Amino acid sequence: MSCPKTKLISAYLDKELVLSEKAAFEIHLKGCNSCAHALEELRSLRVVFANVERLPAPYGFATRVMARTAELENKKAPWLVPFFVRFAEAAVLLVVITVGILAGKVMTNSSSATTTTNIASSLSLDLFDAAPPGSLGGAYLAMTEAKHEK
Amino acid sequence: MLFVHYDDDLIFIERFQNGDTSAFGDIVLKYQDKIYNLCRHMLRNADDAEDAAQDVFLKAYQALPKFQPEASLYTWLYRIAINTCLDYKKKPIFESLFGDSGEGERLIHDRASDAPSPEKLYQSKQIDQVLQEGLEKLSPKLRAIIILKEIEELSYEEIADTLEISMGTVKSRIARAREELRKIMQKFREQNP
Repeated sequence: MSCPKTKLISAYLDKELVLSEKAAFEIHLKGCNSCAHALEELRSLRVVFANVERLPAPYGFATRVMARTAELENKKAPWLVPFFVRFAEAAVLLVVITVGILAGKVMTNSSSATTTTNIASSLSLDLFDAAPPGSLGGAYLAMTEAKHEK
Repeated sequence: MLFVHYDDDLIFIERFQNGDTSAFGDIVLKYQDKIYNLCRHMLRNADDAEDAAQDVFLKAYQALPKFQPEASLYTWLYRIAINTCLDYKKKPIFESLFGDSGEGERLIHDRASDAPSPEKLYQSKQIDQVLQEGLEKLSPKLRAIIILKEIEELSYEEIADTLEISMGTVKSRIARAREELRKIMQKFREQNP
């Protein structure tokens, strides 16, 4: 049968009882085999704990931790480290797009008149004449007409 | 007993909060052994212990900018460590079943210089093994508190600060943890006279 005062053993062992409680408990210990026995067992347990091995952290532990903190920093501010690289990339892209647009406009203007004439001529019925425009016969007729007008 | 240099902690914190991130390396070097051992005893697995200990310092790194210098750095680190290990223990049971690397025996202290007899050495190892198994049988909260008291040698006040519990709760949990371990050790002694 356990004594109700066994709950004080732990605090007594750790010197956490106030003076009056400590004195009263020590008197109790002299007359209580159960508490005295439990106290001795807790003292033995403390010795076992004192002999538990404390190992150093694994080799390179601090280095690995600092490497992970550096990764955290990079994730937090991805724009900071390669900022100038990203700025240069954006600038080059802008230049390429601008040059492409300008080049496209220039090519479109120079070919538009020729394109219109070709389209119109391909739709004309003059194509079926004996001497259609653009042929040798058509060119001869144009020259002779010009001569007669003179 | 390890003497904790409180002034160093204040200097490290001040340097870090002023932008010197290398100060955190000094904090890691100072507390890595204590945090690693705490994780080892909580998790009983060396690999898990290192992973958990790294997680502890990463969490500390992220929270340190807002750390109040008036508080105790090492009880704060212990608090993070205990919470990290308690969360770690909630991992799927498959991992915990196959993660045991027989660490229990490696936790045994073996002082060659004392040269005990082989029988005493064997008995000592057995007792330590029983202690480790006893710790494993405790609930995580009781295991944490007895490790902080008996292995890390924190005072009742420091434990209360670390675990953010009252002094009364500290006393009652320590008493309960010791009583459970005492019964386990008593049973072992009865079976091995």
